[in-house]
Amino acid sequence: MLNNYTYLDNASMTRLDERVLEEMQKCFFENYAIPTSESGYSMGIESREILDNSRKIIADTLGTSKQEIIFTSGNTESSNIALKGTLMAWTQRKKRENENNLNTEDKIKNHVITSSIEDFSVLNTSKSLEKLGFQVKFLDVDPDGFIDPEDLKNSITNETIIVSIQHANQEIGTVQDLETIGKICKEKGVLFHTDATHSFTRLPLNINKTPVDLISISAHTIHGPAGIGALYIRKGTPLLKWMDGGFQEFNLRGGTENIPGAVGFAKAIQLVNEDENQRLLKMRDHLIDRILNEVPKTILNGHPTNRTPQNVNITFEYVEGESITLHLDMRGFGVSTGSACFSRSLDPSHVILGIGGNPERAHGSVRLTLGRFNTMEEMDAVADALAQVVENLRKISPLGMK
Amino acid sequence: MSNLKIDVKGETCPIPLVEARKALRTASLGDIVEITGTHPASKKEIPMAVEALGMELISVEENDGIWKIKIKR
Repeated sequence: MLNNYTYLDNASMTRLDERVLEEMQKCFFENYAIPTSESGYSMGIESREILDNSRKIIADTLGTSKQEIIFTSGNTESSNIALKGTLMAWTQRKKRENENNLNTEDKIKNHVITSSIEDFSVLNTSKSLEKLGFQVKFLDVDPDGFIDPEDLKNSITNETIIVSIQHANQEIGTVQDLETIGKICKEKGVLFHTDATHSFTRLPLNINKTPVDLISISAHTIHGPAGIGALYIRKGTPLLKWMDGGFQEFNLRGGTENIPGAVGFAKAIQLVNEDENQRLLKMRDHLIDRILNEVPKTILNGHPTNRTPQNVNITFEYVEGESITLHLDMRGFGVSTGSACFSRSLDPSHVILGIGGNPERAHGSVRLTLGRFNTMEEMDAVADALAQVVENLRKISPLGMK
Repeated sequence: MSNLKIDVKGETCPIPLVEARKALRTASLGDIVEITGTHPASKKEIPMAVEALGMELISVEENDGIWKIKIKR
C-alpha cells in the first residue's frame, strides 16, 4: 500500500533533504563538541564557528544581524518565548517601578492582541496568558482569512503590550499584510510578533521593510530537521529568560546547543530558491483549478492568490474530510483535513470556523500542502483520485447530496 | 496464507474503514480479510476502497443487518 506514496502534508512536516543530512552528519561525527570560548579547545572553537555561521545564514535571510537570532526547539517554543518572555519582562519591570514608587499611578499593562485563526503555538499560548490574568483580544478575520487593520488599530489600547499576528496561515495559506500591521504597531508603540512558520523562505520577509520585533520560524517546514527553530528578537526588546540553565543563546535560552539542528536549518534555508517557489505556485494553481473545475460543489478556503505557494485547501460539500483522507490514503496519497475526528483536539478546524464556515464546511475540508519532492504529475494524479473518491462518497453520503 | 477476521459491529464511519485498512496493511499477498459490521454506509464504502486498491472483493453478504465482507489481499 505504501509503494508510490504521494505525500501532500508538507505544512505539518517535510521530508528531509539529503543535502541537509550531509551537512548535519559532520556535526555528529567530526565536530561534535559544544561551542567553547577562544581559550577553549580547538574542536569547541570550531563548533562555535559552525554555530555562528548557521546563525548568520538565518539572520541574513531576515535582513538582520546574528546577535538578534536565538535558536529554539521549533516555532512553538519560539512563540512561547516571544509572548510569555516579553509579557513577563514587562510585568516585572512595572512591578519594580511600582514597588520603588517610581510610577505608582501607572497601572500594569496587561493587554495582548492576536487573531482567531493563529496556529496552536500562538492561540493556546494566548489562552494560557488569559489564565495568568492577561486580557487577550482575538481579532476576527474576513471570509478569506484577513484581519482588518482598522480593527487592529481600534483594538490597541493604552494597556496593550504586544500584538501577535501570523504571517501565513497553517491551514488555508492566507498571507497577512505584515507591513501595514507592523506600521500600526510601531505608530502605537506596541510590540509586534509574527509566526512565520509557514511562509519563511517561501515568501519574502525582511525586517528592514517590515517593522517586526519578534519572528518565529522553524526548519521542519522547509525540508530541514524537526526539533530546531529560531526566534528573531529586535535589539532592545524586553524579554525575560524563562528556560533557565546555562548562558547559551545570549543568555536568553539555557540548554546545550543543538548544533546539528542549527546547521541543518541553515542548509535547508540555502536550498530554497525562487525557482522552487515558482514551481510550487504553478503546481498549487494547477491543482486548485482542476479541483474547482472538475469536482462540483467545492469551495476554495483562503484567498485565491494571496496565499502561500504550497497551500491548497478545499471543502467538498456533503462529504466528510476523514472519509476523503482515508480513501485517498488507500490510493496512495497522504493529505490532511480540518474535520474533527482527524485532529488530535477532536474539534473542527478553528480556522475554517474563523473564516465564517460552519462545522460542515470544516468537516468537508481537505488540505493538500506541497513540497520540494512533489511533481506536476502527482498534482494530476491526486486531482483524478479526488474527483473519483468524492463522486463515490457522495453516492453513499448520509449528508444529503445524492 | 491466513485468514484475518475483523469485527466492527456497532462501529460507525470512519472506524470500519480504518480497521479494514489496518488489516489489509498487515495482511500478506493472498491472505483473506473478513470484516463483519453493522454500519450501512461502510458496507458500500469498503468495497469501493477495495476496488480502487485493485484487490479482489470475494463476497458481500448481509443477514439481519449484519454484513460480512471478504477481501483477498
